Amino acid sequence: MDKVQQVPKPDLKQIEGIIASCKDQKWPLIPLLQRIQEEVGYIPPETINPIARAFGLFPSQVQGVITFYEQFYTTPRGRKVVRVCRGTACHVRGGKTILKLVKQNLGLEEGETSPDLDYTLETVACIGVCALAPNIVIGKETHGNMNPKKVSQLLGDKKGSG
Amino acid sequence: MQNHRTVLVCQETPCLSMGSEAVYQALKAEVERQGVANAKVDISGCHGHGLCGHGPSVVVEPDGIFYLQVDAKDAPEIVSSHLRDGKPVERLLYHDPVTGQAIPLYSDIKFYKEQQRVILRNCGHINPEKIDDYIAQGGYKALEKALLKMTPEAVIDEVAKSGLRGRGGAGFPTARKWQFCRNSPGEQKYVICNADEGDPGAFMDRSILEADPHAVIEGLTIAGYGIGATQGYIYVRAEYPLAISRFLIALEQAQERGFLGENILGSGFDFEIHVKEGAGAFVCGEETALIASIESQRGMPRPRPPFPAQSGLDGKPTIIDNVKTLANVPVIIDRGAEWFASLGTEKSKGTAVFALTGKVANCGLVEVPMGTPLASIIFDIGGGIPRGKQFKAVQTGGPSGGCIPAQFLDVPVEFDSLAQLGSIMGSGGMVVLDDSTCMVEIARYFLSFTQTESCGKCIPCRLGTKQMLEILTRITQGKGRDEDIDTLLNIADTVKECSLCGLGQTCPNPVLTTIKYFRDEYETHIKEKKCPAAVCDALMISPCQHTCPVGINVPKYVAHIAAGEYLESVDTIRERNPFPAICGRICHHPCETRCRRGELDDPVAIRSLKRFAADWYFDHAGELPDPEPFPQTQSQRVAVVGAGPTGLSCAYFLAQMGYPVTVFEALPVGGGMLSIAIPQFRLPKEVIQSEIDYIAKRGVEIRYNTPITTNFTVEDLRKDGFEAVFIAAGAQKSQRIGIPGELEDVDNFHYGLRFLRDIKVGRQINIGRHVAVIGGGNVALDAARTALRLGAEEVSLYYRRSRDEMPVTEVEYDEAVAEGIRFHFLVSPTRIESDNWRATGLQCIRMALGEPDASGRRRPVPISGSEFYVEADTVIAAVGQAPDLSFLPPDSALERTRWETLVVDSNRLSTNIPGVFAGGDFVTGPGMIIEAIAAGRRSAIAIGKYLRNDVSRVEMYDLKQRHNGETADQEPGVEESWEIQPRASMPKLSAQKSKRNFEEIERGFSEDVAKQEAKRCLRCDLET
Repeated sequence: MDKVQQVPKPDLKQIEGIIASCKDQKWPLIPLLQRIQEEVGYIPPETINPIARAFGLFPSQVQGVITFYEQFYTTPRGRKVVRVCRGTACHVRGGKTILKLVKQNLGLEEGETSPDLDYTLETVACIGVCALAPNIVIGKETHGNMNPKKVSQLLGDKKGSG
Repeated sequence: MQNHRTVLVCQETPCLSMGSEAVYQALKAEVERQGVANAKVDISGCHGHGLCGHGPSVVVEPDGIFYLQVDAKDAPEIVSSHLRDGKPVERLLYHDPVTGQAIPLYSDIKFYKEQQRVILRNCGHINPEKIDDYIAQGGYKALEKALLKMTPEAVIDEVAKSGLRGRGGAGFPTARKWQFCRNSPGEQKYVICNADEGDPGAFMDRSILEADPHAVIEGLTIAGYGIGATQGYIYVRAEYPLAISRFLIALEQAQERGFLGENILGSGFDFEIHVKEGAGAFVCGEETALIASIESQRGMPRPRPPFPAQSGLDGKPTIIDNVKTLANVPVIIDRGAEWFASLGTEKSKGTAVFALTGKVANCGLVEVPMGTPLASIIFDIGGGIPRGKQFKAVQTGGPSGGCIPAQFLDVPVEFDSLAQLGSIMGSGGMVVLDDSTCMVEIARYFLSFTQTESCGKCIPCRLGTKQMLEILTRITQGKGRDEDIDTLLNIADTVKECSLCGLGQTCPNPVLTTIKYFRDEYETHIKEKKCPAAVCDALMISPCQHTCPVGINVPKYVAHIAAGEYLESVDTIRERNPFPAICGRICHHPCETRCRRGELDDPVAIRSLKRFAADWYFDHAGELPDPEPFPQTQSQRVAVVGAGPTGLSCAYFLAQMGYPVTVFEALPVGGGMLSIAIPQFRLPKEVIQSEIDYIAKRGVEIRYNTPITTNFTVEDLRKDGFEAVFIAAGAQKSQRIGIPGELEDVDNFHYGLRFLRDIKVGRQINIGRHVAVIGGGNVALDAARTALRLGAEEVSLYYRRSRDEMPVTEVEYDEAVAEGIRFHFLVSPTRIESDNWRATGLQCIRMALGEPDASGRRRPVPISGSEFYVEADTVIAAVGQAPDLSFLPPDSALERTRWETLVVDSNRLSTNIPGVFAGGDFVTGPGMIIEAIAAGRRSAIAIGKYLRNDVSRVEMYDLKQRHNGETADQEPGVEESWEIQPRASMPKLSAQKSKRNFEEIERGFSEDVAKQEAKRCLRCDLET
């Protein structure tokens, strides 16, 4: 049975608190978004209006900033974000194949999150660990010198895990 | 009293990912547990730069001893053996990859010896989280000097005198920028450090921030003082969490010690640094986009003028400098501009840090003075290309840069020289590419990156990148069109000229440089649907099959062997190649160079498996049904001149298509070069005969002793009713060296090809005791080994180029060396000495490899004054062969080139006379066996078209096949195993046993061994 997690409703009080703490900063919008993301795990769309109001911006301006930057998400992410590096060094050392295998193992396409909110799969342009190419990052841990065996070991067969 | 030792454990991201935290903790615990009093364990930045693949790394100072691949389990031994007893642990030391010798000191390791670490001066030597370590290395002395002893103008002046140019990519003179800003009106000014190192493949800024953050703080502060700014920012990309946290720790410590804040060191100068994190946008590395991002806006570039120096952050005068630029500043102030300007070249002062990655043995950060040649960085420091592959190109400057091919390896690396080649220095990324990289695919890759990162503001960039990407993608999928290259150039120029910011202005560079230097690769993809690097999946069944000039379905025939279906295996091979037993012995196997198994451990022994299947067939031919002639479905007759591999292949394939074919051979035996030149110990006569007999049985008529001459011409063949003629007369005329004393009448002077042929037909040749062979190709090598077997005491081979350029296989070279053949490289004969018509010796001169030519090959040049003499009582010259056109009548209408070969269309192999075709060695000069067979197949297809009045091009490609349900899962007994299983070794006669006779050296695989080897195939053809 698929365990589809209910997306927890964002705690607007918590977010109001974060907004208030950033109010005095110069150019606070991006640091604020980064903090919300850090603490809530994503930027709930419901927060756009309160943020706009707090800083005298149009909601469309706030939305524009959110959508410009790759690191801001408006949907919840999995507990473990798997990032496959697609930098040049990783590319020439077989990164494409690693991505294919990771996709197979997780049963996810790029940008997707598993229904049970366990995993999110993303690619990242370069994490700067080129000497150990090809690389993937799971959560905060970097794993270098990836090969098909390691992909199996790290991610096993997570398809339809429930 | 014992010396105090410090053990530094690298804690940068790469080593941490390999468990260096555990190593650190273990060493600390062990030092305490074993009670070693005079040692302390600390963390540091990277000292393994270049050897990051061999981490975690540990350095013991002040010894300077370097340990690699240290595991937490090694801690007790390191502490007891090295720290307590003073004996370094040998097995953990760096070992030279060639000699295997241990090199304990990192300063002795070639990778470090050749570097000059100025920007990276502290990396690996200090704990980045201890400000006292930084101060102990002389840190903050420059700040003190600047604030207390120099005026801001003097600071800018010093930087100006040093010649420092921005290390972010553009190379703008740093001091000039500072001066503009200082001169701009306004009270509030800003300094920003650009640490948004977005170039894929670049990680020096990450490393500096993780290993030596104070250098950046100090540089920023001095810059602020120079321009009159009291606020500083550092913009770090979010993908560098460790760099950010280390920098924050350093900030706090600097603040505590009074190097930041109000009235720094009592100078009256205030300075504050704020940290801003990026949010995942490559374009924010561009200065105006970066400013917009700090202002919490969408990171879109702004038009300049006004430049940030006049109006930047918040509309105030702002300086933006790269991490490396700022890391240079303290050193310049401390040691002086003159010292700094003494490094580098006239227009590019100081050092440059490169992130050397990709297909290179040592990946890591390389810091060298500007002006160091590319070859030095890649080969001397980088250790060259691993796995025996060839250098193809190096991409510098990330996605904004260009690909630089082999012919420019001598170029000194500096701003202007790279720009001249169409690339840029950029942030210092240097990705090495080898012959298994497809240049079209690389251009596509870079475009896909910049297309995603394009902010969208400028239409040419927004749409242009999308269009270029679409075209490049189509080409890699075999859907290229003839006009694509011109369209790409057109769009590229427009995007370059009309884009607002650096991203757009430089993103076409990978496309422009790859087309400039590798245009033929694009054309091959478009016209022949072939990817020479065997990378573009959509064009092929598998890399091996794709690389094979005749496109044998390799995975299929190998799979048949694994399943014990040997007849099916031979039949599969014979669909494309009528010479399986011969090729199984002497083919130079380009397929194996692209075998993907080779990326795991060793390539599958494709050639030897082919031999196994062919030998099985001939051994069991008696039990199998006799081969039947191909059905003759056509009436038009074709004549082939020459029963060598090209001619016979052409005949075979024409017969396969139903045409009656007659082959005319001048000699009493067929086989061409195979029979004439290749020695018995590599290819027995019987094998050649069996294969020719098979072809004859399939319906090909061969008339021996029937030369085409001035009396019986090609014209006569036409008159006799042959509607098409294919001339495949080979290249058997020996080239002359062109030196004095080269006289055929000299008794013991031979040309290699004639020598080999005479031996093969059983003629008696007198071999002396000291044989000198001139040349480095297959004929030379075979002649040398033959001379040995005829009783020479000593055989020496003199080649004017180096070992790397010898066009012989590894296997043959190793066998020759084992047999005792002496090789003398970079030696060229200048005169053959003889006495009374007998050769007595060679005058020689030594050569050096000079500048590379357009193909990247270095031309040998004589070293004057290096002449020497060698004694030899037999001299054999084998410096090349050429086609011999003398059998054609002088008034023949066939058009010739000025090199005395026939003019032939490369696609259809047609001459200027309709119905007359020519190919193989006869047209191209000596080539490899499989290329000869490919020419035969191409001509058969072309002749077939001609006879059907089909004017379309000859197309020899096989696109990806969809398999009907057959997958690796369904193959019985195929275990997908990632375990290392080395290639089966070929049983051979030892050099001792073989060097005095002509017995075949390779014995062939047994059935068990063949099946095991066949199972190593990864079945790339089943990949969807």
